[in-house]
Amino acid sequence: MNPLYKQRLSLERSIDELPRIVAFTEAFFKAADVQEKLRFTVDLLIEEVFVNLVKYNVSTHKILLELTPFGHGVKLRFTDFDVDKFDPRDAPQVDIEAPLSERTPGGLGVYLSLKIADHIDYEYNKRTSQLTITLLEKS
Amino acid sequence: MLTIANQADGTITVKGRLDAASAPEAQQFLDGHDGACILDMQALEYISSAGLGVLLKTHKRLVGAGGALKLINVSAHINDIFGYSGFDKLFDITPA
Repeated sequence: MNPLYKQRLSLERSIDELPRIVAFTEAFFKAADVQEKLRFTVDLLIEEVFVNLVKYNVSTHKILLELTPFGHGVKLRFTDFDVDKFDPRDAPQVDIEAPLSERTPGGLGVYLSLKIADHIDYEYNKRTSQLTITLLEKS
Repeated sequence: MLTIANQADGTITVKGRLDAASAPEAQQFLDGHDGACILDMQALEYISSAGLGVLLKTHKRLVGAGGALKLINVSAHINDIFGYSGFDKLFDITPA
């Protein structure tokens, strides 16, 4: 149990990387002092952000994912190089009260990420996009 | 890894992870079903928005033809995601 345990993973811009991300997260939870109950949420946040970056950011660079313990919670950081600015906090809202006939899956990933994260920071500098998501320990 | 299959009792079982990688397979499977379908989610460990999209697309199609997609044995954490997404108002859901 190392509170300073930090892991990095460099990812190709492909959905095919998802199994490698799952294995990476599993190894992180085994080694770091992070609440196991956060595992589902961490997996979900990572997938939603990663898939969004793969789909909408145009770049030839790999995507960097970092996981760091934060108390018994965790910080996730995605760094994407040579991309346009996209702050997920500015994304259009999803109307979850809309009737079935009007519902579409579009935007649901970003919406869920904003809903389940405890804190989100976004920085954009010299065409490098950095998104940091904090999940706090749950009681 | 996702396994989705028809059972002898008429239900459809889904096991594993319904994520962006497995969603196309699940969609293709469910596209082959009509009427009132029951999806048993007892062994489903994980679902993302890609999986939610599969459920939504299938449910809309079935409802449009007079059927529906009913979700049963839904775990607490997946039920939470349904709640956040407003799916609890769209689907007939039975918790585990």
